[in-house]
Amino acid sequence: MKLLPSCREVRDHLTEYAEGTLTRRERASLWLHLLLCTACFAFYQGLRRLPGVARALLGAQGAPPEEAAEALRAALRRIAGRKE
Amino acid sequence: MEEEQLIPKAAAGDSDAFGALVSPHLGLFFNGILRILGNRADAQDALQDALLGIYKDLPGFQGRSRFSSWAYKICINAALMFRRSHARYREEPMDSVPGLGEFDAAGHHLDTRAALRWSVDAQALADAERRQLRECLLEALAELPDSLRVAFVLKDLEDWSTEEIAARLEQTPAAVRQRLHRARLQIQERLRSHLRRRTA
Repeated sequence: MKLLPSCREVRDHLTEYAEGTLTRRERASLWLHLLLCTACFAFYQGLRRLPGVARALLGAQGAPPEEAAEALRAALRRIAGRKE
Repeated sequence: MEEEQLIPKAAAGDSDAFGALVSPHLGLFFNGILRILGNRADAQDALQDALLGIYKDLPGFQGRSRFSSWAYKICINAALMFRRSHARYREEPMDSVPGLGEFDAAGHHLDTRAALRWSVDAQALADAERRQLRECLLEALAELPDSLRVAFVLKDLEDWSTEEIAARLEQTPAAVRQRLHRARLQIQERLRSHLRRRTA
């Protein structure tokens, strides 16, 4: 990675940057780019928020679908079959 | 009957008590499995396996965590076992995963304003209509290649560490991070497009 990486290089390494797996030099390069490039910084912020947003959106559970009820009925039949 | 009363009965082999114990959590279990497998019929089969696993292991349940949390882990494991034992859930080569074309030849943003709009979108995500966004996210998850979806689900939804995922999927941590990153980019792009259409 160049000392001042391009936006594409930055984008491609943002997860490694967030996980702290880049070398010190690479990390410094990304940090500097993010400091100077508002577009990449905005993109990084969006990426960091994504897990929380996804969890919040998927957290609410509605009524179980029919497939789940059928899975339970099938499991109970197999349990009953084992007892016989 | 309360969960605390149902657990010992179910653990002793009372199948009615077992049914009553797991019924309130079926949606949670099914959706957790479905997110990993991305296929409703497979999720039904894997849930059946998971329920049998829960029934078998219930005598060993110590009550150190909530029943639903303990049983949910069994469901996630059942989904991963199912995935492993079915050939259609194979690893795609990374070359087949499309990239996003937003950059010029030098690798810089083609449209800085468009990139910046994502910051506005990201801000809006918290307040946007949840149902529509939820559907959009579910569609994005369903469209992801299997190896990318499982990395995203385990890391960003189930909160596993990268090392745990790597060990479980028999990949290197670097490969997991690469897949996770691709998944995040694709999902983010999908949500961004959805919000862009909504505000257009």
